[in-house]
Amino acid sequence: MIMRRASFLIIVVALALLPVLWPDPYLLSVVAAAGIMIIAAISLNLLLGFTGQLSLGHAAFFGIGAYTSALLSLGFDVDLGFSSPLVVEPKPVWVAFAGGIVMASLFGWLLGKVAFRVRGAYFVIVTISFAQVMRMVALNWVDLTEGPMALVSIPPLSLWVPGDGVVRLVSKAATYWLVLAAGVLAYVIVANLVRSRIGRAAIALRENEVLAKSIGIPVTRCLIVFSVLSAGIAGAAGGLYAHTVRIIDPDVFLFIYTITMVIMVVAGGKGTLAGPVVGGLIFGLLPEVLRGMVAPEVQWMIYGALMILILLFMPKGIVPAFGRVLKRRKISVRRRPSASQGASS
Amino acid sequence: MLIKPLYAMLLGGALLASQAQADDTIKIGVSQPLTGSVAASGTYVTNGARLAVEHINGEGGVLGKPLELVIEDNKSNPREAVNTAEKLILRDKVPVMMGAWGSTFTLATMPKLEEYGIPMVVETASSSKVTTSGNPWVFRISPTSMMEAQAFAKQLSSFTPAIKKVDFLSVNNDWGLGAAGAFKEVLESKGIEVGRSEIIAPDATDLSAQLAAIKNSGSDTIIVTSGVEQLTLAIRQAAEQGIKQRLITTGGSFPEPLVKNPGPKGYVSTHLLFFSPWTADQALHPQIAGAYMDAWEAKDYPFPGLTEGFRGYDAILTIAEAIRVAGKAEPEAIRDALWKVKLAGVNGDIAFHKEGPEGRESGQNTPNIYIIQLQDGEVSAL
Amino acid sequence: MDQFLQHLVNGTVLGATYALLGIGLTLIFGIMKVVNFAHGELYAFGAYVAYALVSLLQMDYFVALVLAAGLGLLLGAAIEFLLLRRCRLENIDEVMLIMIGVMIIMQNAELLAWGGVAKVVPTPFPQESIIVGGIYLSPTRLFVLGAAIVLLLAFYLVIERSRLGLAMRATFQDEDAARIVGVNVSRIYTLTFGLGSSLAAITGALLAPVFVVTPTMGDLASLKAFAIVILGGLGNIRGAALGGFALALIEEFGAAYISTAYRDAIGFLVILVVMIARPQGLFAAKERVG
Repeated sequence: MIMRRASFLIIVVALALLPVLWPDPYLLSVVAAAGIMIIAAISLNLLLGFTGQLSLGHAAFFGIGAYTSALLSLGFDVDLGFSSPLVVEPKPVWVAFAGGIVMASLFGWLLGKVAFRVRGAYFVIVTISFAQVMRMVALNWVDLTEGPMALVSIPPLSLWVPGDGVVRLVSKAATYWLVLAAGVLAYVIVANLVRSRIGRAAIALRENEVLAKSIGIPVTRCLIVFSVLSAGIAGAAGGLYAHTVRIIDPDVFLFIYTITMVIMVVAGGKGTLAGPVVGGLIFGLLPEVLRGMVAPEVQWMIYGALMILILLFMPKGIVPAFGRVLKRRKISVRRRPSASQGASS
Repeated sequence: MLIKPLYAMLLGGALLASQAQADDTIKIGVSQPLTGSVAASGTYVTNGARLAVEHINGEGGVLGKPLELVIEDNKSNPREAVNTAEKLILRDKVPVMMGAWGSTFTLATMPKLEEYGIPMVVETASSSKVTTSGNPWVFRISPTSMMEAQAFAKQLSSFTPAIKKVDFLSVNNDWGLGAAGAFKEVLESKGIEVGRSEIIAPDATDLSAQLAAIKNSGSDTIIVTSGVEQLTLAIRQAAEQGIKQRLITTGGSFPEPLVKNPGPKGYVSTHLLFFSPWTADQALHPQIAGAYMDAWEAKDYPFPGLTEGFRGYDAILTIAEAIRVAGKAEPEAIRDALWKVKLAGVNGDIAFHKEGPEGRESGQNTPNIYIIQLQDGEVSAL
Repeated sequence: MDQFLQHLVNGTVLGATYALLGIGLTLIFGIMKVVNFAHGELYAFGAYVAYALVSLLQMDYFVALVLAAGLGLLLGAAIEFLLLRRCRLENIDEVMLIMIGVMIIMQNAELLAWGGVAKVVPTPFPQESIIVGGIYLSPTRLFVLGAAIVLLLAFYLVIERSRLGLAMRATFQDEDAARIVGVNVSRIYTLTFGLGSSLAAITGALLAPVFVVTPTMGDLASLKAFAIVILGGLGNIRGAALGGFALALIEEFGAAYISTAYRDAIGFLVILVVMIARPQGLFAAKERVG
C-alpha cells in the first residue's frame, strides 16, 4: 500500500514537473487536450469498467457540463413561456464550473433511473439516443445555446495566487497544471470509490448480477450512484474543455467523442485504475504523432484498425496484459532460486 | 508510465525535424476541413491555395524566397481547429495563416491568433461575429451573409415577375441560419413579405417533407442555403414535387452535379455565386480568373470545384501580397501590411476596411457577387 | 391539409427503404446478438458500387443493383469470417466496438477512394413526375417502392419457407439445440451477416439515383436503422418492417405539422419513449429485456 502510494506520488510529481523540464508550449497544449479526454475516460471507466455497463452516450455528460458551465459564466436569458423570461447574470467561473458538475450529475441520475431498467444492447442504444437528443436540443434551442452559431468568448478559469491576485489560467503551463490537478483528483476519487463498500458491490454486480442481487446488493441503487458520479466527473471534464478551448458548439455531443473515450478505456484496460490513463495517453496523442505522416483519412483508418486489433488480441487491455507479463517475470525470478535449491539439496 | 516519455520523444523528434529545415522558404499555415462533413469544400479551397503558391513560386516567389504551404486538417470540428492552429503556430512557426473554412472553426481559432499574435486571412466563413468581435488579427476576404443579402437586394429589379413573398429553406448550422436571418432583414426592409422558414439537418437527404410544406405557402420564391449536396437534392426534389416557386440559392455553393445529370426538363434555379467559371469572361479581372481556371484544369481537378477553389487562391494571393508589402515574413509586419494591401483577385478587387470595436478592428473585404441561372444543365448569367 | 396525401406518399416510399435497412440490422442482431454499427457503411458501400458501375463503367442500372447486392453479401460474409468469428461473439460489448472500428475504417476508405465530393448516379427512368390527383411521384421513387416491396416479400419467403430460413430460425431460437440437430451454426452466422449486409447494400444502390452518394451517408442510415429496430423490437423481423414504415411516417408528418428542425430528432425521441414505456418494442408480444 505504501509502495503504491509512493509510486503514485512520484508519478504525479514527475508529471507536474513536465512544464518546467520541457517548456515546449505545443507539447503542453497537446498533453493538456489529451488530459481532458483522459478525465472523461476515467469517468466512463466507472460505468464501463467497474459496473460493466457500456454507455455509448457518455459525451452527453461531457457536453452538458461544458454547456452549463459556459452558459452560467456568460449569463443568459431565455423565455420559458412564463410571464417574464428567465434571466441569469454571469456567475464567477468556478461557480459556473461547479454548476456544470451538478447539472451533469443530475442528468446522470435521470439517465440512470431510465436506462438501468434495461441491459446489454438496449442499454447501449438508450444511451446513444440520449446523447443524440441532447445534441438536437443544443442545436435547436437557439435562444439558449446559440445553436450551431456556437457559444464564444467563454471566460477562462482563474485562480487567486498570493502576491499576484486573481490570475486567468490561460498560459500553456497553467492549463496543463489545471488539467493535471483535475485528473489527479478524479483518479483519487475513483480509486477510493472502487475500494469502498459500494465499489466492491458494483464489482460483484459486474461479475454476476443475479448472484449480487441474491446476496442483497441493491443493484439499481448501486448503479445509479456510479452513474451520478461518472456523469459528474465527465461534466467536470466538459467544464475544463469549455473554459480552455473557450468555444463550444453542439458537436461536443458527437458520437465520435464517446467512441474516443470508450477506446481509451478499453485499450488501457477497463476496470483498472491506470487503464484509462494509459489508453488515454496512447489514443490522445496518437493523432498528433500520425499528423503529417499520412493522409488524414489514413490517420482515421489506422485509428480504427488499432481499435480492432486491440480488441481481438488484447481484449482485457494494455494494463492487465503488461501486469501479467510483469507478474510472470516476478514469479519466474522467484522460482529459479527455489529450483536450484531443490537441485542442490 | 513508460508510454509517456516515449511519446514525448516521438513528438520531440518531429519537432526537431521540422525546425531543422532551413528558413529558405516562407511558410503559410492552412487550416481546412479535409475529413468530416464538409471535407469536399475544404479540399477545393486547399487545392486553390496550392495553385496560387505554384503560380507565385513560378514567378520567383516572394522576397526572393518560395512560398511553402503547411496544410493541416481541422476535421470539420472546432476543437480540432484549435489544435491545428496551435500546431501550425507553435510547431511549424508559421508567420501567417489562412483558414478555417466554417464560421465556428474560424471563431474557435481566433483566440489563438490573438494569444500568439499571428494574422489569419479568412476565406469562407460568413458569420458577422468573425469580424465584429474585436480581434485585430483577422482579415476576411469572403462576404458576410449580410453583405450578400444587400448585394442581392440591389439586383431585385432583374427578377421578373417581381419577388413579393419569400420562404426560406436553410441548413441547420451557423451559415444557414445566419444567411436566413440576414436575407429576412434585408428583404423585409425592401417591403417583401417573409413567409415560412423551414430547417434541414446538415446530413438530411430526404427534403420532401419540407418541400411539401412550402409548396402551397403562397410565396413566389424560396431562398435555399446549404452545401452542394443538399442544394442538388433540394432542386431535384423540388422539381419532382412540382414546386412552382422560383428557387434561389445563396452562399456561393453551386449544385454542380446537376450540370451533368440535370433534373426534370425546363426547371430553372437561380444561384448567388462569388465566382462563376461558366461566365468567367464577366469577372472583374478575366485574365486572373483565366489563369486560375487554366491551372485548375491542368491539374485535372473537377471543374465545378472552381466555384469554391478560388477562395483559397485569392487568400494566398492576398497573403503573398501582404508579405511583399511588409518586406519581411514576420507576423506583426504582415498584419500591418494587410491593411495596405490592394490587389486584383479572381473574385475582384481585394482591400480591407475596418469593422468591429474601435481600436481592435478586424479587416473585411467587399467581394463581388454574381447571379447565374441553371436550366437543363446549362448555365447562363442572369 | 391539402398536402396530406403527398406527405403520405412520400412517407410510404421512404418507409419501404427504412424497412429494408431495418430488417437487415435486426436479422443480424436476432441471430448473432451483434449490434452492427457498420450497417450504414454497407448501405454507403452499395451506393458507391452503383456509382462505380453505372456512372463510371456505363453499366446498366439494374445489373448494378444485382451486383451491389452480391458484393454486399460477400463483404458482409468476409467481415464476419475475418473479424467476428475470432472473438466468438461472447462479449457483446467487444463485438460492438469492433464493428465501430469497421465503421471508421470503411467510411474513411470511401473518403480516400472517392473524395468528399457528392457523386450522382443517373436514373434510368424519366425525370418528370407522375401526377395523380395533385400528388407528385417521380418514376424513380415509384420503382424504389416497388423493388423494396418485392425484396421484403422475397426475404420473408426465404426466412419462412426455405431450408436456410429454417436453419436461421432454429439458430435464432436456440443455438445449442440447432447445433445438436445438425445445423452448421458458424455457416449460418456467416450467411446471416452476409444477407443482412446485402440488404443494406442493395438499399444503398436503390437510393443512389434518388439521393446523392457521399462518404458520410452511412451515419444517418445507421442511426435510422437503430431507431427502426428499437421501434420494432430488437431481433423482431416483422417488427422491423413495420417499424420502418412507422418511423418514416412519424418523421414525415412530424416535419410537416410540428417542426422541421426536429425532424431527425424524432427518431431518437421515439427510441427513448419506447425504451421507457415498452422496451420489447411496439410490435413484439414477448418480453425481451435483460
